[in-house]
Amino acid sequence: MSKKLFTNKQKEGLQGYIFILPWLVGFVVFTAGPLLFSFGASFSDYNVTSQMDFVGLDNYKTLLTDDQLFWTSLYNTFYFVLFSVPLTTLGAILLSALLNQDVPGMRFFRTIYYLPAILSGVGVYLLWMQLLEPGTGMVNTVLSWVGISGPNWLYDPNWTKPSLILMKLWSVGGSMLLYLASMQGVSKSLYEAAEMDGASRWKQFIHITIPMITPVIFFDIVTSLIGGFQIFQEAYVMSGNGDGGPVNSMLFYNLYMWKKAFETFDMGYAMAMSWILFIIVFIITIFNLKMAPRWVHYEGEEK
Amino acid sequence: MVISKKVFLLFLIAFLTLSGCAGFKTSNSKEAETNGEGKVVVNFWSFWGSEIRRPVIEKIVEDFNKSQDKIEVKHTFVPWGDIWTKELAAIAAGNPPDVVINDINGTALRGMKNQAMNLSGFLDKDDISERFYPELWKATLYEDESYGIPFNTDTRVLFYNKDAFKEAGLDPEKPPTTWAELEEYAAKLDKKNGDTYETMGFYPLFGVESDVWMLNANGKNFFDVDGNPNIHNKENVETLNWINSWKDKYGDNTINAFKSQIDSQQGNPFFNGKLGMFVNTPTFYTQIRDYAPDLNFGVAKLPERTEGSGNTSWGGGFVAEIPEGSKNSDEAWEFIKYLTDVEAQEYWAVKNFDNVANIEASEKAAQNKDMSEKDQLVYQMAVDNMEHTLLTPVPTYAPDFMGLIKPEIDSILLGKKSAEQGLKDGQSAVERLIEKNKK
Repeated sequence: MSKKLFTNKQKEGLQGYIFILPWLVGFVVFTAGPLLFSFGASFSDYNVTSQMDFVGLDNYKTLLTDDQLFWTSLYNTFYFVLFSVPLTTLGAILLSALLNQDVPGMRFFRTIYYLPAILSGVGVYLLWMQLLEPGTGMVNTVLSWVGISGPNWLYDPNWTKPSLILMKLWSVGGSMLLYLASMQGVSKSLYEAAEMDGASRWKQFIHITIPMITPVIFFDIVTSLIGGFQIFQEAYVMSGNGDGGPVNSMLFYNLYMWKKAFETFDMGYAMAMSWILFIIVFIITIFNLKMAPRWVHYEGEEK
Repeated sequence: MVISKKVFLLFLIAFLTLSGCAGFKTSNSKEAETNGEGKVVVNFWSFWGSEIRRPVIEKIVEDFNKSQDKIEVKHTFVPWGDIWTKELAAIAAGNPPDVVINDINGTALRGMKNQAMNLSGFLDKDDISERFYPELWKATLYEDESYGIPFNTDTRVLFYNKDAFKEAGLDPEKPPTTWAELEEYAAKLDKKNGDTYETMGFYPLFGVESDVWMLNANGKNFFDVDGNPNIHNKENVETLNWINSWKDKYGDNTINAFKSQIDSQQGNPFFNGKLGMFVNTPTFYTQIRDYAPDLNFGVAKLPERTEGSGNTSWGGGFVAEIPEGSKNSDEAWEFIKYLTDVEAQEYWAVKNFDNVANIEASEKAAQNKDMSEKDQLVYQMAVDNMEHTLLTPVPTYAPDFMGLIKPEIDSILLGKKSAEQGLKDGQSAVERLIEKNKK
C-alpha cells in the first residue's frame, strides 16, 4: 500500500461526488431527461400514443397568434401573481411583526395564526368553497352583520380570483414563520441604540427590522412568484367541474395546459406551453436576482 | 485501509441506487402474465371505490373468476382523479392494465389516438352490439369501429312532489309536459312571504346545466351528423332566454340560498317540499330513499319545449376498454363480455340503482324481486326514458370545444351578453377551432 491510488484531496472530492450521486442520478434520469424530451417534443404533434411528427414552430406559432384561451389563461395567471405575491408578502411581514411583540399568551396567537399553514390541499379548498358560498357561507354572513351584502365570490367572474387571493392570505402562516424567525435574530442592541436616539417604534420597524430581514423577503418573493405562476389545484378543485370557472375566470395557465395534455391529448402543444411558462418565469427570476443587490442587505457583507 | 473500506461501502450504496433505477425499466415481453395456478391474470382498473360500489364490482369479478378456470381477473381501485392519467402513462410505458373503465364520451377520441384497442376483431367473431342501447353503442364508434363496450349510463328525469301538487290544486298524476306547463305549475307551487320565496316551484338549473335544456329544446347535439357545429340557432337562443327569465323571476338571492341547500345533499329543499319539481338522474331517488323516505313524489319525462319538439333528455356513461398494448386482450375480451352480459349488469343495476347499458338487464332489473314497488316504478321510468336520451360524445376533430362555448354561456347567464350575440361568438370560435384542427 505504498502507492496510493488517489491523493487525499482527490479522495475527498470523490467522496463528495459519491455522496451527491443519488441526487445526481435522480436529476439526470427524472428531471433532465424528461426536460430535454419535453423540449424536443414541443416541436412535434406528440400525443403519447399514436403520433410524434416534427411540426417545427407550429405549436408556438398557434399559441401566440391563434389561441384566445392561451392569452386568457396567461392574463388570469399574471393577475393572480401580481396581486397575491405582494399581498401575501406584506401580510406575512405585518403578521409576524405583530406576533413578535412581548404580550402574554403570544404562543397561543402564534399557534392560531400558524395553524392554517399545516392544513393543505383539497380539504382547505372545499372548506373555502363552503365559507364563500354566497347565500349561507360564513364570509357573507359575517359581512351581512355589518350591513354589507357580499359578492357572489366563486360564481362571479370578477370575484373568483380575489376569492383565491383571499384564501391565500389566510394561509400566510408558513412564510410568517420564516419572517418571525429572522426578526428574532435581529440584534437587540440595534433597537436599544435607536431608542436612545429617539426613534419611534414605526421608524425602528422601517429602518431596522425591514432591512435586517430583506434576505428572507427576497427568498419569499422569489419562491412565491414561482409558486404563483404554477397555480393549478385551487382552480381545478374550486371551479366546479375543473373547467376554469365562470367565463373562464379561473382558467390559469397550468390548468389550460393540463386540459390540453390530458383531455385533448395535445401533448406536444402542452409541452410548448410549459416552455413558454419556463421562459417567463426564468426572465422574472433573473430580473429578481439582478435587482437583489440594490435592496437586499446581508449582514457582514463586504462592500 | 479504513478509508478504502468506507469508499467501498459508498460505491456499494451508489451501485444499489443505480440498480434500483434500472428497476423502473419496463419489460416488453409479449408473454401473457400467469399466476401460480397457470391462469392468465387480467388486470382490471376501475374508480369504483365507494363503500356501495366497490363490493358490487368485486362480487361481479369474483363470480367471473369462479365461472371458469382459465382467467383470473384482478380488480384494482384507482381514484377518480388519477385513473386516466395513470392509464395514459401506463400505455406510454408499454405496460397497461388489460381492462379499464373509462368515460364513454371520449371513447372515439381515444380510439383515434390509439389509446384504446380496436375491438372489431373480437366483434367480428361474436357481435354483442345488439345488447346495448343504440345511442350508447354509437358513442363508442370511431370510423364505424368500436373501441369500448358500454357498461352503465344515466339519464335526466323530472321529480315532482305529489303532495305539493295536491295542495296547489294540481292533479298529482299529471306532471307538466311542456315548458309552458312547467312555468304555469311552478307559479302555482311558488310560495312567497313578502319579497322572498319560501317555496320554489321549479328552477331549470338545479340538478342540470343549460346545455341539457338546449338539447331538450330541439333534440339536437351541438354538432350535426356531418360534424358541423350547430350552436347558434333559434332554439338555443330561445332556451337561454327562457332560463334567464327564470333567473329574473326568482332573483339571485333565492337561487343561491336554495342552491347551497341542494349542494349539502341532506338538506335538499326537494325533500321537505320547499322545491316543487327537480330535474336529476334516476339515481337521485336513492337519496330520497335515504333522507326523505316518506316523501310522496312522482317521476316523469322531461317536458318538451313545445308540443311535438320531443322530451329529449341527456345522458352519459362509462365503457370498458382494452388499452392499446394489453398483453392479454383475448382474456380481457372474455371478461368484458361477462361484465356487460345480462347477469352482471342486472346485479349492478339492482345493487347500485344505476342505469345499465344492457337492454335486457335493464328491463329485468325493473322487475327484480329485490326492489321495492317504489324502486321498480322509478327504475322503470329510467329505463323508459332511455329512448329519449341523447349522449354528447366529444367530436374527435374538436375535443375541447366546450372550453370555448362554456364562457359564452356563462356570460349570457350572467347577463353580460345577449343570447344571440354569445351563441354567435361561440359558434364562430368553434368553427375556427375546427378549421385549425383540420389543417
